[in-house]
Amino acid sequence: MDILVCVKQVPDPETKLRVAPSGKSFDTDGVKFTINNTYDEAMVEEALRMKEEFGFTALRVISVGPPRAEEALRSALAMGADEAVLVETPADLPLDPLLVARYIAAAAKDIPHDLVMVGRQAQDDEAGVVGSALGEYLDLPSYSFVTDLAPVPANHLLKMKRYVEGGEEVFSAPFPAVLSILKGAKDPRTPTLPNILKARKKPLKKIPAKDLEAKVSALQGGAKPTSDILAFTLPPPRAGAKMIEFQTPEEAAERLIKLLKEEARVL
Amino acid sequence: MTLNVLVITDQREGHLKPSSLEAISEARSVVERSGGGSVTIGLIGSGLAEAQKEAKSQGVQRVLLADHESFKGFSAAAYAFAAERMAAKLSAPLAIFLPDTAMGRELAPRLGAKLGAGTATAVVEIQPGASGGLQIKRKVFGGKATETVNLLGTVVLSLRPNSFAIHPAPAGDPPVEPVEVGELPASAKGLAVERVISTRGDTPELTEAPIVVSGGRGLKTAENFVLVENLAKELGAAVGSSRAVVDAGWRPASYQVGQTGKIIAPQLYIACGISGAIQHLVGITNSRCIVAINKDPAAPIFKVADYGVAGDALTILPALTSLVARNKGA
Repeated sequence: MDILVCVKQVPDPETKLRVAPSGKSFDTDGVKFTINNTYDEAMVEEALRMKEEFGFTALRVISVGPPRAEEALRSALAMGADEAVLVETPADLPLDPLLVARYIAAAAKDIPHDLVMVGRQAQDDEAGVVGSALGEYLDLPSYSFVTDLAPVPANHLLKMKRYVEGGEEVFSAPFPAVLSILKGAKDPRTPTLPNILKARKKPLKKIPAKDLEAKVSALQGGAKPTSDILAFTLPPPRAGAKMIEFQTPEEAAERLIKLLKEEARVL
Repeated sequence: MTLNVLVITDQREGHLKPSSLEAISEARSVVERSGGGSVTIGLIGSGLAEAQKEAKSQGVQRVLLADHESFKGFSAAAYAFAAERMAAKLSAPLAIFLPDTAMGRELAPRLGAKLGAGTATAVVEIQPGASGGLQIKRKVFGGKATETVNLLGTVVLSLRPNSFAIHPAPAGDPPVEPVEVGELPASAKGLAVERVISTRGDTPELTEAPIVVSGGRGLKTAENFVLVENLAKELGAAVGSSRAVVDAGWRPASYQVGQTGKIIAPQLYIACGISGAIQHLVGITNSRCIVAINKDPAAPIFKVADYGVAGDALTILPALTSLVARNKGA
C-alpha cells in the first residue's frame, strides 16, 4: 500500500513581495524560497502517521517545479519519505494549477498510489486546485477538508471527518483516492540532522517535463494552460489603523460605532 | 459577446446558502455586462423541493435539477459528473459559477479538469473579457497581492463568499427541468455520510458571516471569552479566535482563524485582545474593514487594522455590546 504526497516549494511568507518587470508575477530575484508549503508539510506528517499507524508501506513525494524544488523534496525525505520524484520544468514553461495537476497525473501513472495526498492550498497562489483536479485526471474519488483520517486497509475504506460550513461530517468512503487534509493529527516534525544527511542519499528521480508531454496532451485540457495571468499587483501599503481617542469605554464604543456606520459603512 | 452562466449552488438543510445567492446575483450581473445571454441554476443533491422553489424566484432563465438519493452526501466525483450533464444542456460561450464553500472549492477544480476549462478559485471580481471569456481578480499571498487572470473558452469559477452583493431578483417563472444523470462512474460511488456534527449552534458560520468578532489571549481567562460572544450575538456575527485561545483550550479548534484554521473575508472583522501574529493575519487580511481592540498600542494588529482602540477589551467589549443593543432597541 503506497502513498504519494504532492508538495510545492513556495516563497518565504515573510518575503517582501515585488512585482516582476513583466508585471505578471512576483519578482523571484533575491527571494528566499522556503523548503515546503506549510500545508504540504502537514500532509507529509499525516502520511507518515498513515505509515506508522495504519500499515501503509511506501511514502513517495512528488513536485512539479524548477531544479531548486529538489530542496523541497529533500526536506520531505528528511522528514521520513522514502523516495522522491521531481518533474523538472524549464523557467519559460507556462503553467497553471490545472496543468500542474496534469503533469502530476501523467507522472503518477508510473508511481504506485493507494492514497494521493495534497496540501489544502499553496501559500503563494492559494488556488487549492490540484487535489480534486488530480482526482478527475486519475479517475479517483477525492475527499477534501478532511479533519480526521482513519483508514481500514482490509476493506479499502477510509473513515473520516470533514469540515463543512457549520460543522463536521462523519463519513466513510473507499480508496484508492485523493485526499486533502485541513489539519493533520500532529504538528509536522522537524527533521533531525542524521535524517537530513540520510535524505541526501535517498532516491530522487528527475523527469524532464517534456518527457511527460505526450501523456499530458492526452488528458482533457492538453499541454497548454487554460488560464493566463494578465497582471500581478500589490495594493498600496496600509496606512495603519485610525486610532480612536477616548476617556471612557463608553466613549470609545460610541466613536467606533459611529465610524463603522458613517465612514466605513459596514454596520 | 453573450454569455450563458450555469450556477451550481450549495445547499444547507435543503436551502440555498447565502453564498449561492451571491453567485446567482453576480451571474445575472455578468450576463448583463456581457450584453445578454442566460443564467441557469443547477441544483444537485437529495430532497431539493425547497431549494427548487428558492431557485425559481432568483430571476433566472432555467433551473436544472439532479435530485437523487445518490447525491445525498457530497462526492466531488458524483457532483462533477452531474454538473457536466447540466453543462451539456447549455450552449457556448459557457461559464460555470460556484460559491467558494468547502463543497464549491472541491467541485470547481474537478469540473474544470473534466471540461478542460479555464478555472479559478476564490474569485473576488469578474469582468467580461474584451475578446470573449472572462477576466477575474483573486487575492494571493495571504491577501498581500492581487492576480488578474484571463480565462478563455469554457470557464469555471468559485466565488469567494461576502465578495459579491445580492441584488434583488427580477420576477420570472423559469421552468424546472430534471436532468437524467445516468449510471455514476466507479469513482463517484461508495461515499456514505454517517452523521453531521454541528459545531456552531445558532451562530453564523465563520467563513460565511458578514461580521466576525474574534477573541485572543488578551481576554485573560476562558470565562471572559463570553464577552466576545455577547457582542457577536448583538451584531448577528460569527465568533472566531486566535490560535492561542484554541491551544489554551478555551474554545475548540473550529473557532480558530488563521493559517492553520479558517481563512475568512468578512465585511467587518473585530479582533479583541489579539496581538496579530502573522499566522493569524494571513486568515483575516482580506476582510473589508478590520477593527482592533488591544491594550498594547504597539501590537502588530494595529498595522493591518482600519480602526484601532488602544484599550482593554474587557472594558471596551461590554460598552460596545450594550451600545449595539440600545441602538437596536431605538
